[in-house]
Amino acid sequence: MPLIGQLALALALIIAFYSIVANVIGARRGIPTLIVSARHAVWAVCAMVTVAMGALWTSLLQSDFSLEYVSSYTSFTLPTFYKVTALWGGQQGSLLLWTWLLTVFTAIVAFQNRRRNPEIAPYALAVLAGVAIFFLAMLNFVTRPFDMLSAIPAEGQDLNPLLQNYWMAIHPPSLYTGYVSASVPFAFGAAALITGRLDDSWIRSTRRWAIFSWFFLTLGNLFGARWAYEVLGWGGYWAWDPVENAAFMPWLVMTAYLHSIMIQERKDMLKVWNLALIGMAFGLTLFGTFLTRSGVISSVHSFTASGLGPYFLTFLLVVCVLYSGLLIARVKSLRTPAEFESYLSREAAFLFNNLVLVGIAFAVFWGTLFPVLSEAVRGVKITVGPPFFDKVNAPLALALIFLMGVGPLIAWRRSSLDNLRRTFTAPAILGIVAGLCAFLAGLHQWYVLSALSLAAFVLGTVVAEFRRGVSARRHMVSESAPKAVVNLIAKNNRRYGGYVIHVGVILAFVGIVASSFFRVEVKKSVKEGGSFYIGPYELVYLGLTTRETPHLESAIARVEVFRAGKPIAVMAPAKLFYKRPQQPATEVAIRSTPASDLYLVLAGIDDNTGMVTFQVFLTPLVFWLWAGGLIMALGTVIVMWPNVRERAAIGAAVRAPAALEFDAQTVPGGE
Amino acid sequence: MPKKLRFAIGAGLMVAAVAYLIVTAVRNTAEYYLTVGEVKARQTELSGQMLRVAGRVDAGTIAWDPSTLTLKFAMSQPPPDASGAGLKPVAVSAGANFTVICRGQPKPDMFAPGRDVIVEGLLTPAGVIEARQVLTSCPSKYAPKQPK
Repeated sequence: MPLIGQLALALALIIAFYSIVANVIGARRGIPTLIVSARHAVWAVCAMVTVAMGALWTSLLQSDFSLEYVSSYTSFTLPTFYKVTALWGGQQGSLLLWTWLLTVFTAIVAFQNRRRNPEIAPYALAVLAGVAIFFLAMLNFVTRPFDMLSAIPAEGQDLNPLLQNYWMAIHPPSLYTGYVSASVPFAFGAAALITGRLDDSWIRSTRRWAIFSWFFLTLGNLFGARWAYEVLGWGGYWAWDPVENAAFMPWLVMTAYLHSIMIQERKDMLKVWNLALIGMAFGLTLFGTFLTRSGVISSVHSFTASGLGPYFLTFLLVVCVLYSGLLIARVKSLRTPAEFESYLSREAAFLFNNLVLVGIAFAVFWGTLFPVLSEAVRGVKITVGPPFFDKVNAPLALALIFLMGVGPLIAWRRSSLDNLRRTFTAPAILGIVAGLCAFLAGLHQWYVLSALSLAAFVLGTVVAEFRRGVSARRHMVSESAPKAVVNLIAKNNRRYGGYVIHVGVILAFVGIVASSFFRVEVKKSVKEGGSFYIGPYELVYLGLTTRETPHLESAIARVEVFRAGKPIAVMAPAKLFYKRPQQPATEVAIRSTPASDLYLVLAGIDDNTGMVTFQVFLTPLVFWLWAGGLIMALGTVIVMWPNVRERAAIGAAVRAPAALEFDAQTVPGGE
Repeated sequence: MPKKLRFAIGAGLMVAAVAYLIVTAVRNTAEYYLTVGEVKARQTELSGQMLRVAGRVDAGTIAWDPSTLTLKFAMSQPPPDASGAGLKPVAVSAGANFTVICRGQPKPDMFAPGRDVIVEGLLTPAGVIEARQVLTSCPSKYAPKQPK
């Protein structure tokens, strides 16, 4: 098996080289057979890497400890589910997964563009193959998944207990899918720059890829936060750790990109900006991969250098230099006569939304790299922790939420005062009323009040939009209100799916604000039968039970929860002791309701006195963070849903070269 | 042109606002990030400040009281190269160690003798670090090959 995998990776590297050469020469000289051959090469690369994946999975499932990777990350006693997920538990495997996703996406792109985009697709495929070559070179020469051990150990070292968790099984693949699929729009952007075909066909052809990437970046971040919440046992879900930031920054930039391409599609503006954004997004995905593997930044996730850093940094720099060079060379032909007319316009709202998103991304980037920068400049390592990120991002988040309410509703070009009044009076009143109610209810922090007001304002605008749409439909066709809502979404899935995403963002935002401001913590040591209070709950410690399997031992505390004297639940936080590597782990117990989460940690067991110590968090509204995240995902699915009309439009645009020529000519090059 | 200028000013203000937020936040939240050896070398100067200190837990010094959640241990400079990637000691005095006391936090699961930790806390004049938080090298999943 290992030999097959090794061989497949070597072949993949060679074929990937061939696919670049064939694609570029085929496109430049106009040799269709070469282009076809290059396409087959792309599929062959995908097949080879798939074989390598299969080989590693087989070895993992067979517990073939002659393989260094298998013996480092699994053991005989590891449950089969985690033997499967161990594929991305370690460095080599996770890079292999990465490469595999990239080659699969490239193969799909090659298939989609069999007859479409004849000018730019070969170059886009060449760019994707170039990225694949870097990763394949790493897998072949630097961090090899199929390295063998000279002495076969009797038992493996096992997967880190913190990774033996459901969320860890799905978080990395989601995030990687999001990361890797961002390279498709990037490759088309680069191809547009190389070929000089700078109309927006590269955007339209990859719009769905960009949304797909955003969808998985969203889920990846959400699952990662959920993992931290359930496994790390500190009651929070986000600590602004460099690795978290590395996943968050591409999400921010992709969000900006998805918004600003709407301006280009509608108004033919922001062309340079869009190309720059997708370059940044792709660069940040590489940067994220680099960050987790380089040891440049000390993160709680990755203490140790792995030797990959310099290669990644070099590749990142090469990509940045080449791409910026191309972009600068083409700036002249990207100029457009269209310009912003008024601050009170949708273009302006979108522009500012972009600036805020990129501003947040930059602040996060700055804070993440601050230790390195300060050491370089002043010779002293200075770090900024979570307070820095909270301080900078809190006001920017408010600005973003405000623009989120304004942007989708304000008129294009220039909004009249009358239009503003009609559109925004009701939502604004709703926002102010919500703020007042919160104030009267006893909330006095200015940030919380403005956050709630703005959230209500945005929800108001979305509801108003739905109402307008529904009543317009019901004027034309007679249908019931619920049916009208469904049809409204189905007929305009991009627009109304977008609103659904916005609702999800607002719910998540409210969850984040409430959980950051109003979390209550109680620590208590109790004997069996002892009780204590948190918020409206009384917790009674019933006793400790122990359990043992070949894989782990556990000590489980049973805690009965009372509210107003009535028993409502029995919770069971536990301490686990993994046998290999010998290491304790915490299993928190969470009782989640829409109003608040009761979060129980078994913090300490004193064998001498029989006392146990609990750390308990009562976090209001954190439920809505997860619910909001899922609603965002749902909205994205609605946006991505195939829409017959749109597909026909893309087909017409990209299949008719004449139309393309015409488009290209109407865009004046130069001043 | 004036329209372009108006928008350039608006965008410029936005950028300035972000820059201002970053600068003030850095000023208010920055902490020195040092190794045990570096702290020892500048102990008097750093006393009374919030620090992040990287070091290694000394075996045999750990005292953990589960009923008060008090963790006490000594932390010393790890040998060069072995860890603390990217931490280049500026001035190091060898063999230095500090006592760390962390109250009211559960003992981190990965906490063990010989582990590398980052301690966030206040350096008291007595030379004890009153830790707010002890971070352990958690899912070190990308660890380099260990000699076996």
